[in-house]
Amino acid sequence: MLMPPFELHHPASVEDAVALAASLLEAGEAFDWVAGGTDVLPNYKWHINPKPHVISLAGIESAHALSPLEIGCMVPLASLTVANGVHPLLAEAAAKVASSLIRKSATVGGNLCLDTRCFWYNQGEDWRRSIDWCHKADCGTGADCRVIPNQNTLCVATYQGDLAPNFMVLGAEVVLVGPKGERTLPLHEFYALDGMKKNVLEEGEFLLKVVLPETALERTGSYQKLRVRDSWDFPEAGIAASWIQGQPESLALASTALESIPRLHAEEVAQVLQTDGMNGSALAKAVHKAVKPVNNTALPPRYRRSMVRTLTKRAVKALMGE
Amino acid sequence: MGSYKQQPGASSAEIRKDGKRVAGKQSFPPPGSGGSDPSMRPRDLDFIPETVGGREPKPAGDHIHDRARTGTSVGKAMPLVDSNAKVTGQAWYGDDVRLPGELIGKILRSPHHYARIKSIDTSKVEALPGVVAVATGQDAPNRFGVLPVTKDEHAMAVEKVRHVGDLVACVAAVDEATAIEALSLFEIEWEVLEPVFDPKEGLEDHDEPIHWRGKYHLARTNVQKRVFQEFGDRSLVNNPHAASHGSWTMLGVHHGFTEPHAVVAHWDPNGRLQLYTPQQVPHYTHRALSTVLDVPMHQINVIRTFVGGGFGGKSDPFPHEMCAALLARSSGKPVRITFDREEVYWINRGRHPSHIDVKMTADEEGRISSFDIDALIDGGGFASFGHVTSYYNGVLATAPYELGSFHYTGARVWTNKPASGAMRGHGAVNTRCAVEVGLDEMAESMQVDPIDLRLANLLPPHSRTISGFRITSNGMREALERVREGSNWDEKFRQLPLGKGIGIGCGFFISGSGLPIHWDPKNFPHATVHIQVDMDGGVTVHTGAADIGQGSTTAVAQVVSEVLALPVEMIHVRSHESDTSPVDLGSYSSRVTFMNANAAIRAAIEIRDQLLNAAWQMLGYHPNVLVLNDRRIYYKHDPSIGVSYLEALHKAQEDKGALIARGAYRSPPMGGVHKGAAAGLAPAYSFSAYVAEVDVDVETGLVSCTNVWAAHDCGKALNPLAVKGQIIGSCHMGLGQVLTEKMVYGRTGHLQNANLLEYKIPSVHEMPHVEAIIVESSDPEGPFGAKEAGEGPLLPILPAVVNAVYDAIGIRLRDLPLTPDVVYNGIEKHLKKTGLEDPLDLPSPRLQHGTLQATLKARGESHRERDRLRQRSEDTSAYVNGVLFGFDPDRPLADQVEGWREADEPLPEQLAELGFAGRAWLKKEQRHMEDDA
Repeated sequence: MLMPPFELHHPASVEDAVALAASLLEAGEAFDWVAGGTDVLPNYKWHINPKPHVISLAGIESAHALSPLEIGCMVPLASLTVANGVHPLLAEAAAKVASSLIRKSATVGGNLCLDTRCFWYNQGEDWRRSIDWCHKADCGTGADCRVIPNQNTLCVATYQGDLAPNFMVLGAEVVLVGPKGERTLPLHEFYALDGMKKNVLEEGEFLLKVVLPETALERTGSYQKLRVRDSWDFPEAGIAASWIQGQPESLALASTALESIPRLHAEEVAQVLQTDGMNGSALAKAVHKAVKPVNNTALPPRYRRSMVRTLTKRAVKALMGE
Repeated sequence: MGSYKQQPGASSAEIRKDGKRVAGKQSFPPPGSGGSDPSMRPRDLDFIPETVGGREPKPAGDHIHDRARTGTSVGKAMPLVDSNAKVTGQAWYGDDVRLPGELIGKILRSPHHYARIKSIDTSKVEALPGVVAVATGQDAPNRFGVLPVTKDEHAMAVEKVRHVGDLVACVAAVDEATAIEALSLFEIEWEVLEPVFDPKEGLEDHDEPIHWRGKYHLARTNVQKRVFQEFGDRSLVNNPHAASHGSWTMLGVHHGFTEPHAVVAHWDPNGRLQLYTPQQVPHYTHRALSTVLDVPMHQINVIRTFVGGGFGGKSDPFPHEMCAALLARSSGKPVRITFDREEVYWINRGRHPSHIDVKMTADEEGRISSFDIDALIDGGGFASFGHVTSYYNGVLATAPYELGSFHYTGARVWTNKPASGAMRGHGAVNTRCAVEVGLDEMAESMQVDPIDLRLANLLPPHSRTISGFRITSNGMREALERVREGSNWDEKFRQLPLGKGIGIGCGFFISGSGLPIHWDPKNFPHATVHIQVDMDGGVTVHTGAADIGQGSTTAVAQVVSEVLALPVEMIHVRSHESDTSPVDLGSYSSRVTFMNANAAIRAAIEIRDQLLNAAWQMLGYHPNVLVLNDRRIYYKHDPSIGVSYLEALHKAQEDKGALIARGAYRSPPMGGVHKGAAAGLAPAYSFSAYVAEVDVDVETGLVSCTNVWAAHDCGKALNPLAVKGQIIGSCHMGLGQVLTEKMVYGRTGHLQNANLLEYKIPSVHEMPHVEAIIVESSDPEGPFGAKEAGEGPLLPILPAVVNAVYDAIGIRLRDLPLTPDVVYNGIEKHLKKTGLEDPLDLPSPRLQHGTLQATLKARGESHRERDRLRQRSEDTSAYVNGVLFGFDPDRPLADQVEGWREADEPLPEQLAELGFAGRAWLKKEQRHMEDDA
């Protein structure tokens, strides 16, 4: 595998980074942001949407911020520990990502902006040629989606990040910066339902940091990750839950690795709380009903969907200390 | 015991303490020590057999090699001799070979599953600046293949491509980027053909069979090989006391070695090809290169680099090796080709995806009256080792149990997928799993303990299987007893709570293939070793045995060190080049330690005798009363009378120079005369028994194996450290196959997971604690009693885990691997069937011993004494499979019972009831179809 050539840029501040992005946009040059590179660079080696320019965020000081309520995009996953003042739920989730080696490089920003995955997409060029290309990786070819053929609009690649649902149930917001300035929005509004677009980042915009509300500190949580091996593997399904001890109305549930985006199940939770109260089985049923995985990861979608029930039950059980 | 001073040029009294020399005397370090240790080490009696006066226990009696033991190396745990090179990163693997002026080769691969190449236009490729050479299938039309009977491969596709990733053309350029760019410039006109993916479809007639074998082709099917074997009295099958029937689907698995394939080819200034490749079997590559390139073998030097793991996946001659040689020949420069991981999966040669059906029956005395096996195996696009695999899937199930009858139908079909081939435990693994699980099921229906069922049905040492294999040493009973005890089986089996389980599995494997496939076994040895000892005393050993990490170089060094009583550091094994190595068949079928070490012992004994004869001349004592110990030869009854190793060596070298000896090993004539009788024949067999403990999460279907007790009979552990490494490594590989590893072919027939993230090899987290138990049955023909330990230990882990999962949840699962979705589906189905709702309410299976239990226990006890006497050759009466059923071993079995049959073709009335693979017998070969016409 040969890394395609690209020009690497090292801006030293948010302003420089944004200016650089703006000038590249103006010149019509495509580029990617890179933090730890553990997601982007392997994709480049597979010739999955490589760009001629790559802008590193490593030189931006504020991107390295790490405090209980503010985590910069460049913070490596290995630093998300309780000892560093990070919320125990985030520490638990971060420790379940990939392997210890990868966690040294992989970052919070990278994990939140993780490219969606699909076994028709995450393949080498020769392989994709043999399926007559994939519409997510090889846009110029007019190829179809191989997961659900005969539809050429939506990409159903799966979002398999571990941190997002956990940040969601803690009520996190993300700060995005770009040529048009800075904006803050709840993390669950950051993702956009299309495996191709993935999130609401506009051209030239990047995720600078995640901010947690004060109330997050009162919350306890649980993250249930389904995977075949206890190392390396992306989640095949993941359920995060949190609440303020003894306050069912504070319950939040979010899922990952089941669709193109991680989802906060606020509506389902509210409904169940109203009818059944804090009932693990009822919650499990509601979340199970809300997600529709497709066949593009290691385990079959029917099974992954069934597991949503088990994982939700277990997460709620863990919250209630059973 | 005191130590004796060496006899250097200057005696110890004459050595000056001021560091100056004594006139006329040499003061170089003590001869032969090779280092600063001036003293001879005392004889290590703990490692000299009790049969020759030492203290090493020999429960199986004496061994022909006992007299060659010196207590130096054999039986001692020592690091592999090449471990320093590996741990310091200095070992040179395929891609580490960098020759000046090298070009980079890249291979154009088929994007189609099955297609005819109508034309290839290379003009644009050749016009690209930086491209130096281009080759297509037309440049090398000669066919090759690892087995002489099934040569169906070309360097690159000549007429058709047979799977996605099949080789179409290749190009050499000044750098990788140019070579990759060049691949996009080939203009190819394809005629896409209808592919076949399902091996069951492969049994049917097709317009365009994947290969064509002329008059031997089976109708118009894609059947590459069909096998029928039947032995014994089939009437026993009727009215069984107990029976089991299991239909299995086992997905293909890959070796998952660390080092991807890589090759460097260079035609030297004299026009000889120098080919560097990480090969398990350099000799076959040597032969294939000669055929494909039309160059005599003596004009080719195959240099085996360090091999970064092989496990059977680097034992075929490979088309990319031919490509590199072709590109290097036409460019006049060295060409290097290194695979991406994806390409590794496309060349494959992994374990065959299999449909296996096993039926078995037992009679009222708990004897196994029949095994019926049907194995349909998916060969992918090429034959590879498949001819042999087709036999092994059946015949390697004929032991370790005594059978009333045996019936096997097997078929290997070509499909449009990467070729399957040989992988650790070749051909035996899948059937073994099905058989061992069947026994577990049958034991349950008989209400007996499955270990007691096995112990009461074992073939004894020095016996013959139903198919005619010669069993010599046999440590099966000891292995079973030790895992039973170690795991505390009797307190756990069928007594653990839901989700916790324990299971048993056994294994049986060849230790070397009895038949060298390229020459007459009656005349030419399987393995040859040359030893050369020059004035410095260092011993150079030339062998063609390919060290693929299993430690064959260490084994050869150890046995030579043992015979010559020299420290292992003084033995230098040279095994990399075909120019200097004697011909060797390579590292497959677990033959290397058995055959090469045997050859090495013979060569070393010849050198030893030359040294002893020289000492005889010097001391006046006959070799019979001379003792060879650490760098010194002395009189048995007065150790002060002796000569140093170097003195004896120099005496022996007088007038003739370096001592040179060769040793060879050839297995004795064995086996029956029926068609396929040679498949599975081996000079010795290994036996193993494992107990595995698992945890099953009944709500997710996740299985984790927590503990394994792994007993393996390797005859004699030449190096216990290496044997334990092989046992633990085998466990890891087998666990992968039974729990997580699979080659996934999706809806469109594409291999979906050709990478190490999605091809899920267990990580350190999934690895259980493995208690490696070495059983030493001392094989009469093995080197110092040794047998294989590299492949056999893989077999039992699969059934042990599957049986343990049953013990944990009470559900028989027969789709491998047991990924969580497979287990969960099984649980869901079972819940539906039993009307339960919550998986946590599943009942755990329990065992209430039936009346047969006592019978089996008693028989097992009595057989233990039978086996001990036979193992020690105190009982040398004949024993053939069938004695347990009351047959007289000294008369032909067919004379004793009417229904006894030995057949290699089905009877017409059998045709209707054959299994999937058996259906291949409904078709006729082309030559017989013409007869009919």
